[in-house]
Amino acid sequence: MRRSRKDINRPLLILLLGIAVLLPLVVRSNQYTLVLLTTILLYGVLATAWNIIGGLAGQLDLAAGAYLGLGAFTTGTLLIRWNVSPWLGMVLGGLVAIGFALLVGYPLFRFGVKEVWYALSSAALVEVLRVAFLIWNQVGGPVERYLPYHEWSLYHLRFATYLPFFYIMLGLLVLALLIHHWIRQSKLGYYLMALGENEEAAEVLGVNTQKCKLQALSIYAFLVGVTGGIYACMYGFIHPNFFSGPMSTEVAILGIVGGMGITYGPVMAAILLVSVREFLRANLGGQLEGLYLVVYATVLILIALFRPQGLGPLLRQAYDRLLARVAKE
Amino acid sequence: MSAPILQVSQLTKRFGNLVALNGVSLEIREGEIFSIIGPNGAGKTTLFFNIIGLQKPDAGRVLFKGTDITGKSPHKICHLGITCTFQVPRAFANMTVEETVRVGAYKRYQGREMSQKVDEVLRICELEEYRHQRCSDMGLAHLRRVELARALATEPVLLLLDESGAGLNPSELTGLMDILHRLNEEMHITLCIVEHVMQMVMSLAQRIVVLDHGEIIAEGSPQEISTHPRVIEAYLGKRVVC
Repeated sequence: MRRSRKDINRPLLILLLGIAVLLPLVVRSNQYTLVLLTTILLYGVLATAWNIIGGLAGQLDLAAGAYLGLGAFTTGTLLIRWNVSPWLGMVLGGLVAIGFALLVGYPLFRFGVKEVWYALSSAALVEVLRVAFLIWNQVGGPVERYLPYHEWSLYHLRFATYLPFFYIMLGLLVLALLIHHWIRQSKLGYYLMALGENEEAAEVLGVNTQKCKLQALSIYAFLVGVTGGIYACMYGFIHPNFFSGPMSTEVAILGIVGGMGITYGPVMAAILLVSVREFLRANLGGQLEGLYLVVYATVLILIALFRPQGLGPLLRQAYDRLLARVAKE
Repeated sequence: MSAPILQVSQLTKRFGNLVALNGVSLEIREGEIFSIIGPNGAGKTTLFFNIIGLQKPDAGRVLFKGTDITGKSPHKICHLGITCTFQVPRAFANMTVEETVRVGAYKRYQGREMSQKVDEVLRICELEEYRHQRCSDMGLAHLRRVELARALATEPVLLLLDESGAGLNPSELTGLMDILHRLNEEMHITLCIVEHVMQMVMSLAQRIVVLDHGEIIAEGSPQEISTHPRVIEAYLGKRVVC
């Protein structure tokens, strides 16, 4: 059973990836649908990265916007000022995000800031950075800074269509999933799961909880920082509002709804919830302002009520049942 | 008589005005089964936590094999060879038994050797049939054994057990005592058991100290302890002279 399961898993994943790759061909040049699909992938990447610190290590991080903004500003500023390619810029942006994560994470974990207090502290970071960049006129400031326009430039990562961004984001999502999958099977993954469940028990078993949390935070910050770089290029400008509190919360929500720690959970949640949200926004947005958020929140409440474990386990059960049926026939 | 493996000297711990430990000194010798007993609130768990590094003492020193481990973090102390189980099991609820034990085994092993260590420990603790079960689905008796298993997987020299017999029925208790006996006899692990269950202490321990109000009031073999006047007083109260 275990073996056959593995045999089915891989082709299935390749099939799903194939469908994803071909998806833009179906929508052709409909830019709205392309943006929507890319946005789903974007949230998929962010939530998968969050799943490392939030899902595996159990730290309710609400600072995704901070790392996203840092990545976007690093990439954007390097491109605008010194014409540095965003390909390099996004990696540097990821490193800046790591630097900031360590700067903040070290004292937080050193002094044992946990649970709700960690959530509140991380949420505050986003707002602190947003205001700091609003004031910092040399780099940020209240006006959008536009990236140079190019019809099609791979070096500048600027295109007149969203199509390349779809594929770049898809690649990043695959990378993020592989990283999560790899960590989950590694020593670090077991240590993170253990400390997420009970920190003192993990310590007693030889887990350096502080170091492991910093490692998890760094990997998460790097992935989100890189995503921020692409985000800036995709929208063609940078603005301090990229340090977004609501977006940070949404990333955490997707991670939780997806099922803490389950590799594919957050992607499933992103596909479902971001589609629902955008569908509602498109259809209800014009009728009554804010109505779509009410419906969206209701969907979240229903999931919380009936599937507190998240969508991941539900999906896994259905998949197991399907496999059992296939095996029977 | 073998050499002391753990020396605790003048350990003091205060919580505000409450003195939980007041100059506690004791010695655990290599290879023995040592026991700490005492009434509720005597400071047994506090003593444990201060040895293992989960709390930092206000005064006093803890020496393990001659090295000072006072106030070191628990993961460093675990690396040196001391670990513990908890009074109320702190299970990794969403992990399976096997995954839980892996956390411990990763301390000293990687890859195939790590898996072998996990198998070995599961066999010793008689948990093989439960290896794929999630900890949240297990009962108290099994959870206590999972705690023991994951601690054993770190290959401790000295294992501290905090009331691992509490809440077990007689047959479960006998099973646990058999396992503990084997750990001591066959694997030469020094055990320190904090216990309320007298049956367990009396048949396992070679030396006992009695803690009351944060101070050691008696020390000796099980026979000596059970007839010691101050112990009887601590447990049952003072005889009223009339």
